[in-house]
Amino acid sequence: MSESLAAGHAVARPAPGRAATADAAGIAALDPRRKLQLALGVIWVLDGILQYQPSMFTKSFPDMLAESAHGNPAVIATPITWSANLIDHHVVVLNTLFATIQLALGLGIAWRPTLRLALAASVAWSLAVWWLGEGFGGILAGTASPVNGAPGPVILYAILAVLLWPANRDPDAPSVAERVIGRRPAQAVWLVLWGSLAAFALLPASRAPGAISDTLSDGASGAPAWLAWIDTHAASALNHHGLAASIVLAILLALVAVAVYLPAPALRAAVVLAVVLAAALWLAQGMGALFTGMATDPQSGPLLALLALAFWPALSQPTLARAAAPAEEA
Amino acid sequence: MGGPTWLTAIFAAASLAVAVYCTGRLVAARRWHRPTELDTDGAHVVMGVATAGMLVAGLRTLPSAIWEVVFAAAAAWFGYRMLQARRGAQPSPWRSSHPLPHLVECAAMVFMFLILPASVAAGATAGGMAVAMTATESRFSFLTLPLALFLFGYVVWLGDRVTLHAPALALATAPAGSGSPGSPGSPGPEPARPYLAPRCAAICKITMGITMGYMLILML
Repeated sequence: MSESLAAGHAVARPAPGRAATADAAGIAALDPRRKLQLALGVIWVLDGILQYQPSMFTKSFPDMLAESAHGNPAVIATPITWSANLIDHHVVVLNTLFATIQLALGLGIAWRPTLRLALAASVAWSLAVWWLGEGFGGILAGTASPVNGAPGPVILYAILAVLLWPANRDPDAPSVAERVIGRRPAQAVWLVLWGSLAAFALLPASRAPGAISDTLSDGASGAPAWLAWIDTHAASALNHHGLAASIVLAILLALVAVAVYLPAPALRAAVVLAVVLAAALWLAQGMGALFTGMATDPQSGPLLALLALAFWPALSQPTLARAAAPAEEA
Repeated sequence: MGGPTWLTAIFAAASLAVAVYCTGRLVAARRWHRPTELDTDGAHVVMGVATAGMLVAGLRTLPSAIWEVVFAAAAAWFGYRMLQARRGAQPSPWRSSHPLPHLVECAAMVFMFLILPASVAAGATAGGMAVAMTATESRFSFLTLPLALFLFGYVVWLGDRVTLHAPALALATAPAGSGSPGSPGSPGPEPARPYLAPRCAAICKITMGITMGYMLILML
């Protein structure tokens, strides 16, 4: 399709003059929520294509799933083991199905008529995979650490789907997430998520002397030279300083968590810090092991960054109106 | 390629279908004087054939070196178009109005042909492309992921627009001598004609984007 054909209707409800400009430029003015939805769609498409990688059609995939049962209570672990066995017996068919579902979720989010359906389906899919594919991110097994992707990347897809739902419960709220589910619920989600990450950073899985440096070393294996260099050097710098590193990380994550109750300028700084932390965690995770041929998703870093951006406090509508009024009067 | 044979065959079939369909678009556009992006459709014809050849060894047509030259030239064209657009040149319904994604697609094709192992590029193996090539072996590995992400972003961006049905600009009257193959040197503005099957064109672009993204991911 000629992109130039399709400008007008992508605009939510802009002023006529602005719409005309967008039409003329051939660029649709997407609102921030739609941009974040599309970013989520990109990650789902990436997930789908990653699931089509050759190694996913081998025994390695169900073996990887079965590993997530370790350390979990029997009531959690048994279904994980059962599903891993089932996938092992029909790995080609089921993996093709999984990959196609994820690709369809991404395209469904992109295609406006199926947006709600795709977001709802992504919540259901994410919850199922969080249990059967990630063992609830190791939370119940005591292995959860923000450095290794806790609370499990896939639950972040579900949270994002809720926060980016096409609804306006609080239209005057400053951020996308708050507009969708209301200010207090959104603040609670932020506090619980980043607060739990801070708590995970203080668990033995993070604070043990070699815990973080070992994770960094793991991230370096199979990575291209430049990424391996970063992770190896970071691992050697943090070697035997696991406790100090985990405390610093926990403090930073806790600051991010409580900042949601602070005024907008402080919250903006916290969102920036959250994005920086997400990027750092992503590098520590070897960029989700994307270069190993065994990655099923890009890990938690990009999703945490996306989630943080959903809380970016933009100027509220009344403020924008007040700012526009003098210009119109003039 | 590295994936299961049937899967790479499906992607190869999809890219060949794009090539055939875009050839049909070029013919139909000339015959019915309906605007289409000639440069984009032309690029997708060669891209579809080249990607099918990369995915399935039996579909290889030309040596890598020739494809590299072809896609470098196409990238140069889209780069030129991008510069023109930045300078405020009047858009034509017969040319790509958003050349950047196609520039990146062509650059990605050049990139993929360049990092293919020589034996595979020469068709010495039977299993298709890139079986042993990973990003860690390439000095330019850092490009693979951004290229794939760009293409996925383009796919999603197109998906967002595929539902839109206001052919505003392409319905606009083409300026005299603007390059319409049906009206060379016509004295006045050509009557407005609807753009040729815009949703099908978008689906072609989405298909090519996903296929190329898949190939790039296999090279990670």
